[in-house]
Amino acid sequence: MIEFQHVFKSYGRGRNILADINFRIQPGEFVFVSGPSGAGKSTLLKLIGGLEPPSRGAILVNGHRSDRMPPRARPYLRRAVGVILQDVHLLYDRDAMQNVLLPLAVAGLSPAQSQSRARAAMEKVGLSGKEGLNPVEMSGGEQQRLAIARAIVNRPSILIADEPTASLDEDSARRIMDVFRDFNRVGVTTLIASHDRGLMASYATRTMRIDAGRFTDMPGTL
Amino acid sequence: MKRWLHQHRYAITVAWRRLRSQPFSSLCNILVISLSLAVPIVVAAVLDTVRPVVQQIPVSAEVTLYLDRSAAAGTAEQLGAELRERHADDIDTLEVISREKALAELRRRPAWSDALAVLPDNPLPDAIVVTLRQHPEIASTSDRLSEEWARLEPVDAVQVDSAWVQRLQSMLDFLGMGLWMLALGVALVVLATVFNTVRLQALTQREEIAVARLVGATESFVRRPFLYLGALTGLLSSGLAIGIAWVALQPLGTAINRLASSYSAQLSLQLPDGMSLMLAGIVVAILGALSARWSVTRNTPF
Repeated sequence: MIEFQHVFKSYGRGRNILADINFRIQPGEFVFVSGPSGAGKSTLLKLIGGLEPPSRGAILVNGHRSDRMPPRARPYLRRAVGVILQDVHLLYDRDAMQNVLLPLAVAGLSPAQSQSRARAAMEKVGLSGKEGLNPVEMSGGEQQRLAIARAIVNRPSILIADEPTASLDEDSARRIMDVFRDFNRVGVTTLIASHDRGLMASYATRTMRIDAGRFTDMPGTL
Repeated sequence: MKRWLHQHRYAITVAWRRLRSQPFSSLCNILVISLSLAVPIVVAAVLDTVRPVVQQIPVSAEVTLYLDRSAAAGTAEQLGAELRERHADDIDTLEVISREKALAELRRRPAWSDALAVLPDNPLPDAIVVTLRQHPEIASTSDRLSEEWARLEPVDAVQVDSAWVQRLQSMLDFLGMGLWMLALGVALVVLATVFNTVRLQALTQREEIAVARLVGATESFVRRPFLYLGALTGLLSSGLAIGIAWVALQPLGTAINRLASSYSAQLSLQLPDGMSLMLAGIVVAILGALSARWSVTRNTPF
């Protein structure tokens, strides 16, 4: 479950990127956040993922106040939230498998367990047989799927993705969205920032529209 | 516990991989540290070898008392008898050389006879030559006695003939102190080199650190490979330093042995004992890890 209560976010003394945001997402929901560039979608996702703290307000993720978490506890929250940023942030000094293994090393799994889980994650996103490739040898869609495999390998309860289909052709975009839908079907709460109305119409169970840091169309607002 | 062990194993693997990923740079750093470490090891080896040998060099500590030229005849014999009686435990032999006997001795030497011929009277004083008994504290005994005898009424000057041994001993003490200063300097070299290595590594691995934090890595997880990198650098440098010191000691040992044989002594330069070297290696590894921690904390702020 994700809940925002009167959340504000600004950088320094600048204007509010997010202003008085209130919403609740129930476990297992598939939600789109839409809005124009600069509306605050990415910031919203970063707040959910615990990558940035809010300036004001309360954020609850899986029942924990993430805004009040001490810095030492935040990494454990991040393990429960799979994050796929707009820039996929893959490591190009190692192969695809090694990229997927990193979160498992962070969690302290044994090499044998890690290998088996990483292979399963690669298979789920349709990258079986490409474990030995360097990400630079992969297409944009494959890189995006690799980032998803890395995000889900630790079995998070929440998956958030920032414009995961932005630079992909329609076919690749649909394949990526199918992967997200499959995870959502097994109970993973999924939140995707996108401005692709076609995809939203096909996949979303709920869409939250944001503009200039405020929700403009928000079913389920508190 | 198992997870913790897996994380440490991963950190060691990553540290080793990072060390191997830039072989030339890593080798240069290790070489700089090991060359710095080799110097105190060689000095320690020389001190460890020379110090006990110096203490065993047979030194006949001779103390010569020169009496005032105005002292009455027979004073030297009387003083000699007194000294022999008062310091029987410390004195091995005692010989009184009268000024006449000393002059006669000098006149027998051609180099001196002409010079002495032009002097109106005998310029030499009566002298008492005392040879002290051999024991480990002979240097301090000769110091104490010469100070005491210098205060005696008819004594004008006292000369300690074994002063060179004391000077050598002082020099070794000075070197021993210098060794600690050297060790401090080497510690600074280790700190600075590892700090800079880790700083550069942290910059190179910035993306990996960011991704690790994104997927839930704790700060300990991020820092751990760098700590192992520092410790590994320290350990490898220590090993290489021992090798360099061993090689350096070979020609040095031959030269020192040649010098020692002129004093009827045998010297064999050897590395300090294994336990000391192992402790030194551990200390260097800890220093490396501490420096790495300092560097990574400064250079990868969250």
